[in-house]
Amino acid sequence: MNIAHSAAIPVVETERVILRGHRLDDFDAHAAMWADPVVTRFLGGKPFTREESWARYLRYAGLWSVLGFGFWAVEDRTTRRLIGSAGFHELRRDIEPSLEGIPEAGWGLVSTSHGKGLATEVVVAMHQWGDAFFDGGKTVCIIDPKNIASRRVAEKCGYREVLKTTYRGEPTILFERLAGAATG
Amino acid sequence: MLPARDRAAAGVTRRIALDTFGQSPQPVIETQRLRLRRHRIDDFEAFVALWATPKVVRFITGKPSTREESWGRYLRTAGSWSVLGFGFFAVEEKSTGAYLGDAGFHDARRDMLPSIEGIPEAGWVLSPSVHGKGFATEIVKALHAWGDSYLQAEKSVCIISPENLASIRVAEKCGYAEVTRTTYHDDTVILFERHR
Repeated sequence: MNIAHSAAIPVVETERVILRGHRLDDFDAHAAMWADPVVTRFLGGKPFTREESWARYLRYAGLWSVLGFGFWAVEDRTTRRLIGSAGFHELRRDIEPSLEGIPEAGWGLVSTSHGKGLATEVVVAMHQWGDAFFDGGKTVCIIDPKNIASRRVAEKCGYREVLKTTYRGEPTILFERLAGAATG
Repeated sequence: MLPARDRAAAGVTRRIALDTFGQSPQPVIETQRLRLRRHRIDDFEAFVALWATPKVVRFITGKPSTREESWGRYLRTAGSWSVLGFGFFAVEEKSTGAYLGDAGFHDARRDMLPSIEGIPEAGWVLSPSVHGKGFATEIVKALHAWGDSYLQAEKSVCIISPENLASIRVAEKCGYAEVTRTTYHDDTVILFERHR
């Protein structure tokens, strides 16, 4: 059985990509992306098994139905391929300060799409959506201090560093962005 | 008036508290004493407490779940219904309305041989406060009566730790028979199947 579960998920378009709900036939590409050590280097540090990628896939779907926001599939407009996932989640992370109740931005792209400005394009677009959807509320993100590329993306999209903390025993930087902060 | 940032935070909190967006239809199953229904966000604290109880997880993962891990499970439970059209139900006691546990079918694409991908896998977990009352058998029978018509699958499976005698007994009463013994995440499990 395959219900069209992505029907209620909004679509956000940019010059080069489309953000849309995940489809079941994205799963192999999704699993391949999360099995790539380059992708997971700063996102958990360990490539995902197929089973772990499936759990992530189900969680993506659950976010939209439970919270009304979540992660999109990032589709290349030209090739129609899945090149990443990005969006907002709320994971009730075991972290201080607590981020519970605050939308947290996240993004990941396949390694062949790195270095082309695509992350900035995606993150700008999703915050334009978020600024309207979250009623002007703030958003946060956490980034590994060594992840210079993502820190640059966050700063370009209006995030500023709040403090350094740890998550699962690793150092991380907490950033926040007020609605309407400069994007791009 | 609150500073803008606090107003904004309040707005976000209100938005997140909603539990009504884009929900896929989910049936309700009733038995004599219990109701199987969709999870609600206000079940979450009881859900966290259940999955943090060592006696509950003893034969499942062996390790109590943190609040964050339970939230991941809660989101996956919702996601299973929207992606696959089936999933786990919240178990509610009819007489008190109390949330007692979770039961249903899922497909976890487990890293296990033989692969059970694509086959509905039954699972159930109940608060220790209601163990020994026959609730599990009542639930699992009702689940399969529903599943036999709704899932349109020739068979379903379940995996159970060989030490979990109570659950093995429930499975056998509901028509499951042992197929093989295998390992899953380094633990021995028995694979059971049941034909429609």
